[in-house]
Amino acid sequence: MSDFTIDELICTCISRQIVDGELVAQGIATPLVAAGYLLAKLTHAPNLSFVSAIGQALSDTFAPIGIATIEELWLGQGLMSFGFVHGACDFLPRFGPKEFFRPGQVDRYGNFNNLFMGGSYTRPRLRLPGSGGIADVTVFEDKVYLYVPRHGRHTFVEQLDIRSGLGHHPARTTGHGPRYLVSDLGQFDFAPESGRMRLLSLHPGVTLERVQAKTGFPLIIPSPIPPTPEPTAEELHYLRQVIDPLGVRTLELLGGAARKNKLLEILQKEH
Amino acid sequence: MPVTKIIPLSTALGWVQDDQTVALGGMTLYRRPVGFVRALLQQKTRPQNLTLLTFTAGLESDMLVGTGVVTCTRTCYFGLEIFGLAPMFTAAASNGQINIIEESEFSLAAGLRAKMGGVGFMPGRAWLGTEMLTIRPDVKTMTDPYTGETVVAFPAIGCDVAVIHVLKADKQGNAILGGNPTIDVELSLVAQTVILTAEEVVDKLPSPIDLPGLTVSGVVHLPQGAWPTSCYPLYPLDGEEILRYIAACHAGELETYIKDG
Repeated sequence: MSDFTIDELICTCISRQIVDGELVAQGIATPLVAAGYLLAKLTHAPNLSFVSAIGQALSDTFAPIGIATIEELWLGQGLMSFGFVHGACDFLPRFGPKEFFRPGQVDRYGNFNNLFMGGSYTRPRLRLPGSGGIADVTVFEDKVYLYVPRHGRHTFVEQLDIRSGLGHHPARTTGHGPRYLVSDLGQFDFAPESGRMRLLSLHPGVTLERVQAKTGFPLIIPSPIPPTPEPTAEELHYLRQVIDPLGVRTLELLGGAARKNKLLEILQKEH
Repeated sequence: MPVTKIIPLSTALGWVQDDQTVALGGMTLYRRPVGFVRALLQQKTRPQNLTLLTFTAGLESDMLVGTGVVTCTRTCYFGLEIFGLAPMFTAAASNGQINIIEESEFSLAAGLRAKMGGVGFMPGRAWLGTEMLTIRPDVKTMTDPYTGETVVAFPAIGCDVAVIHVLKADKQGNAILGGNPTIDVELSLVAQTVILTAEEVVDKLPSPIDLPGLTVSGVVHLPQGAWPTSCYPLYPLDGEEILRYIAACHAGELETYIKDG
């Protein structure tokens, strides 16, 4: 891999899924997505607008990403706040934003789970934070996108422990299953007829064998397999110097002590 | 003769009783009533068997679960956002030691709307095709009497007490929320008892206000009452303190953390 990191490639992939003039939704604790949206805004999508969980605000301007300063982005510059009740019942269903979700588990049809992993619902091996709005908007929205910062068999599973996000499933009556997924290994979409996950491109240095070994179900494989386009010098400049100089986006790829150390480093720089 | 709703913290703490449903305002790590919860847990006798209602649960909710004061949770997210999983909730849930009423953004929003409207449910399209209905067997589907389509009848959600931290409040209970409305106004309309803790208390707020005092029961002056969560724009969240909380929990020192502050 040349002079960019995997977090930068994921942000670039997210950015390139954004169309100028559309509305994107920003969940909580998803800095890779925030950085990708802002990158789109600064490059090819200047007329992008945002709805955010923090503040439940509509916004069309830009501020750098932070942790302690995160509210500046959404509260300091929002056009209006509507609150969660008004947002979930009225504004968001009407606006139909594009949103990137991070599944705890995802199956070959793009159904996903953010409630628990392993064991049973009442006695899980690991309880996850919860479904947020996923069990709502995946039922009726058309523009559901997914991202997985650390591709592995614990996430890409043959069988979900529970389906809290609706994918390409026969029970669907409205909306559309996920359109796209990016991980740290490649880009994927879902075949139109079967709804099955399909490899779109491999990230630099990643082999097909590695992707398939880290995926708990067979993928549809194109031939030939294109490489993921690399970030441009302009994109890297915006990500590193303008959007996220603190590197908040990298937290989503870190675990354990490395993550805690990075958190402390960012918090100290924010003082 | 104008009546003041300003009360001492000790009075408000006494309004939280065993077996109640207690709602907390704010969002995850933003404008949470942490000071009130800490004081609640520092009492000699703590309330027991509470049900927690909140939109997204964070640090103070985790304290309530970790001390065993809350035995049932009703929220669509329980975690510490970028700081990771909520340690005490995650452990309690993984050990099957807590009753979870699984919610989503829409089920909470619709449930509050039903309660405010004085009806038993509010229909919606959410959850259809997911397995949420299997873990919430109390939630029924029904046929839309006009279109014939299947919809989910989300049950009304109320609470006994709501505790909401605000930037400013006046003697009548009118309040300023600071641009992150969450579900605080709705909570103030569905709760039997509404407690505001406020960074600043004034005689009378100028218009416009964010939360009307008509349903507010008491106002407690509690500066820094959201710390270590944020109170935008007065102070940001204190990330180092949140990490200190997580470390204390992992070391089995939650009670020391609560006692020593």
